[in-house]
Amino acid sequence: MSRLISNAAVRGIVRLGNIIIPGDGDMPSYEEFGGFEHVDDLLEHAPKSDIGDLGLLLSILSFMPKFVLVWLVNKMAASHAKGNGLWVLMRQLDMGIRGIVLSTYYTEKGGASFSGTAPLDGIDYSITRMEN
Amino acid sequence: MKDFVIVGSGSSGGILARILQEGGADVTLIEAGKFFRKETFPRTEAAYSSQLFWGGGLEFDDKAKSAYLRAKCVGGTTNVNQCLMNRFDDLALDDWRERSGVDWLTLDTLNPHYGKVEDMMELHTFEKKDFNRNAELFTGGCDKIGYGWKFLQRGQKDCKIEEGNDCIGCLGGCQRDSKQSTLVIGIQVAEKLGLEVLSEFEADSVTHFDDHVVLKGEHEGQNKEISARRMILAGGSFGTTKILLNSGLKKTLPALGKGFCQHPQYMAFGIFDEPVDSHKGAFQTVASGDPKMRKAGFKLENVFAPPIAVGMLFNSFGVEHQRLMKKYRYMACIEAAVRDQPEGGELDVDKKGNLIVRKTLTEQDLVRADKGIEAINNVFAAAGAKEVIDSPFYFGLHLMGGCSFGVDPGKSVINPDFQVHGHKNIYVADSSVFPSAPGINPSLTIMTLSQRLGEQLLNN
Repeated sequence: MSRLISNAAVRGIVRLGNIIIPGDGDMPSYEEFGGFEHVDDLLEHAPKSDIGDLGLLLSILSFMPKFVLVWLVNKMAASHAKGNGLWVLMRQLDMGIRGIVLSTYYTEKGGASFSGTAPLDGIDYSITRMEN
Repeated sequence: MKDFVIVGSGSSGGILARILQEGGADVTLIEAGKFFRKETFPRTEAAYSSQLFWGGGLEFDDKAKSAYLRAKCVGGTTNVNQCLMNRFDDLALDDWRERSGVDWLTLDTLNPHYGKVEDMMELHTFEKKDFNRNAELFTGGCDKIGYGWKFLQRGQKDCKIEEGNDCIGCLGGCQRDSKQSTLVIGIQVAEKLGLEVLSEFEADSVTHFDDHVVLKGEHEGQNKEISARRMILAGGSFGTTKILLNSGLKKTLPALGKGFCQHPQYMAFGIFDEPVDSHKGAFQTVASGDPKMRKAGFKLENVFAPPIAVGMLFNSFGVEHQRLMKKYRYMACIEAAVRDQPEGGELDVDKKGNLIVRKTLTEQDLVRADKGIEAINNVFAAAGAKEVIDSPFYFGLHLMGGCSFGVDPGKSVINPDFQVHGHKNIYVADSSVFPSAPGINPSLTIMTLSQRLGEQLLNN
């Protein structure tokens, strides 16, 4: 599915993405929308060292029980009001993981099989571009 | 051998390229990013965030407390900023003179240069008829509680706002060459006169000789060296400082890397009962214009952001994230930008030559931030917001310092003639030379300093 990270790493993104965006009646869950199928569109422009480190971590997280991932996302969210030490890593993770999840969700490109209300439509976002 | 190689194509490099090329010099302009034009700028937020910025979107300080947005494309950050054009005031320049000892840093000296840069572009001062609802709420709230505000001045022409164009799209590059980026007013003009542009060339270090300079870097994946009689570093605070650090100049110039400032920016969202549609039309038209705020060291700007950026600014997840994002159209937004002290910031490189940003907000910075956030909340309360959400993040769009101007090589990096101390063939006129944070949008002044340098080089 991805040329740049492993299938396990993609699974890690999807599991974390479903915690960040579980979906409701108006909005699809992260997994349902399927924007992660286009994750390479983002990663191919990121520094290679970042992709390697993040890919490894996501692969490990893909095997963790859900309560561990919920705990991690909670700590990531809380990290910005905290000090240094391990909180620095939590902040880096938060920006890296949420950056990927939100960038593959609030976008026009969903998964091949998705046919519901896209997230940008769900929040009623549209802009007009007058090119000439 | 080229007369000049300019490293970096943003506010400084793009202007210098035009001035020097118009003056008959043989110039090569180098840029680490790709060469996009109005037809090829990515059209979606996800695409432009990853393709037009260093770090694939965001960079961070060493504690991951602050995020930085720094463009990586021909035209640099002038492609992706709001192109707000303000001259500095005495408050900013008095501080610069005091810190640097450079006596020509006055409005009397700079005003003619400001004028020449302004003549290179189309400027538009917004009026009430340009307001979207976000601006109406901001100015209405300010009026109720007695805060002064002002219309912003922007480099733009023919934006077609009245015909329905939504200017927020040009945060990923202007698709109609309306925004007066240095791509439009500098580089594309200079190209017609023979300017050579080398994109995807990441500069690493410079070596200075008595009659020329050699630049080492990587061009499209291959190691490359370029020689020129003189070299102008225009990579901004991060880019220029990194090149000089990787060139080993810290040994002789101890001030190199010191004094990094960023105008820390704090955004807050007010949620209203009716749609605000802050993303529609001209989305940034006003700012605070209150002398008390200027003296207090912060300003308020009426801003907004597209969905991914707004989502990133909240640290919520799950049901709460979805609740907030479904209020996207009901959000107004105000930002407080702090005039931070240079003492809290330093740029360095690691053993591999990668940039390290160390930034600690001083007590004074934090007091100013608190006052700015309090002022935002006052405006939103007066405007009738049902809920106010302060983003827990701060970030930097105005990256300044690291190669400060000054007369003393022990305390500065660039001399009053824009030369690196002791290196007469290497020049810098970008935001890295700022001795302190001005508290004013820096683009116009970067262009103005560069215009002055351009004239100086042609006269010599």
